[in-house]
Amino acid sequence: MIKKYFLRHAQTFFFSLGQLTRTPVAALLTVAVIGITLALPAGFYVAIENMQRVARGWEDNGQISLFLKQDVSPAAAAKLADKIRRLPAVSWVDYVSREAALAEFKRLSGFGEALDALERNPLPAVLVVHPAAAHADPDSLQALLKELRRQSEVDIAQLDLDWVRRLHAMLGLARESVLILAGGLAIAVLLIVGNTIRLAVLNRRDEIEIIKLIGGTNAFIRRPFLYTGLLQGLLGAILAWLLVSLALLLLANPIGQLASLYGSQFEVQNLGFQSTLALIGMGGLLGWLGSRLAVGRHLRSIEPR
Amino acid sequence: MIRFTHVAKRYPGGFDALRNINLNIAAGEMAFITGHSGAGKSTLLKLITLIERPTRGEAFVNGKNLTKLPRRRIPYFRRDIGVVFQDYKLLQDRTVYDNVALPLIVTGADDREIPRRVRAALEMVGLLDKERMYPITLSGGEQQRVGIARALVNKPPLLLADEPTGNLDARLADEILDLFLGFHHHGVTVLIATHDGHLIDRARKRVIELSHGELARDTGAGA
Repeated sequence: MIKKYFLRHAQTFFFSLGQLTRTPVAALLTVAVIGITLALPAGFYVAIENMQRVARGWEDNGQISLFLKQDVSPAAAAKLADKIRRLPAVSWVDYVSREAALAEFKRLSGFGEALDALERNPLPAVLVVHPAAAHADPDSLQALLKELRRQSEVDIAQLDLDWVRRLHAMLGLARESVLILAGGLAIAVLLIVGNTIRLAVLNRRDEIEIIKLIGGTNAFIRRPFLYTGLLQGLLGAILAWLLVSLALLLLANPIGQLASLYGSQFEVQNLGFQSTLALIGMGGLLGWLGSRLAVGRHLRSIEPR
Repeated sequence: MIRFTHVAKRYPGGFDALRNINLNIAAGEMAFITGHSGAGKSTLLKLITLIERPTRGEAFVNGKNLTKLPRRRIPYFRRDIGVVFQDYKLLQDRTVYDNVALPLIVTGADDREIPRRVRAALEMVGLLDKERMYPITLSGGEQQRVGIARALVNKPPLLLADEPTGNLDARLADEILDLFLGFHHHGVTVLIATHDGHLIDRARKRVIELSHGELARDTGAGA
């Protein structure tokens, strides 16, 4: 009995697949529209996931940059560095001399020649203070920052964690926005599938009438349409995945170059296995649901005359 | 098989298609429903197949009360009635075989049973050699025979026909009538709506005549 049930469903599934190949252009168009619609939130999701991965890396080495006053001599700077190194909250301190800062800036900014024209080095010396892991919580960092600001040689003390936090907050906001966008686009997919199925139902009006006259139940008539919707949703989701992958492939090179400028080995990651399953499952579900809503509404209107 | 007591059908808008119909057709009987256009023949058939519901009176078909049968039971109710149409109502994009198999697929018949039963039905109407053809390539008489095979493939106890020979010439109409007489002989209840007098004269069966929605003449059972 159960075997028969599954056999019948399998038959309907392949019949629906056959129906799709009979009108390839219409089917392809629907699948393409669903694919693009789903690719939008999926693409944003991938982008945000990757940005969050980058930001997580930054957060681990939250650091305080001390920009020293212009008149502080290298010897005084070294002395200050030694003093800070002895603070319990500090793990280590990097000293970037004015000359080293200028050389680095020349190398990275591309203004090399132009900078040679300057009479004197405009850059301050910098002490980069790495807090000890045990003192990396926000309160300790704030206390450390306050103490460092009190040093007379320090012009500006900047906690680099601030903007990382802001970035995180922004990414969090973007994530929520993607959810809202995805919700809106999910409704769009429902409408797209619903409209396609509506047309399919009306196209087969005579057939539906005849099946009703010879005793076909609504469930029997609905079944091929539900499979059609399910298939379109699944194929649309697979297309969305392919589109996102293609976009990442095209962006892999520029992103790699950008990352190397920051001295990073960062590589973009596509949707993970679970997210891919979720995307395809969502596509199938939306296709089925859109079809169910449309068929339910239009089947009632078709009665034998 | 069919029992109507004081049945009336009024369509929305106030048109009375049938008024106070009393009718009793026993199992295994064969009868013709006749009358001018608009007399109510089609409405009567629509009531029997539950395309429409009676507005007044009591109607029983196959032991089921037509005024009380819930909507969701209608498909199962229709499986016991074979219907033949004037315009055949075949699916043009399916072969003769698939058209005849449709009622079996709809009712979830055993897959191994289907070919045997489809071929038996096609043999009955003499179209066994055309099972791979599409309806459009068949003559009108052949298409109607496909329709009849489809109506009977489920072996329903009741066969309804709505102007089954309306689009056929006299010779083909006679062939179709012979098929119906054969089914009647095998115990199927047959009810044919027609205004083809020649057909009625030739069959010499019970005649129920409608006029302006009322029963004008009923030659009664056993005529």
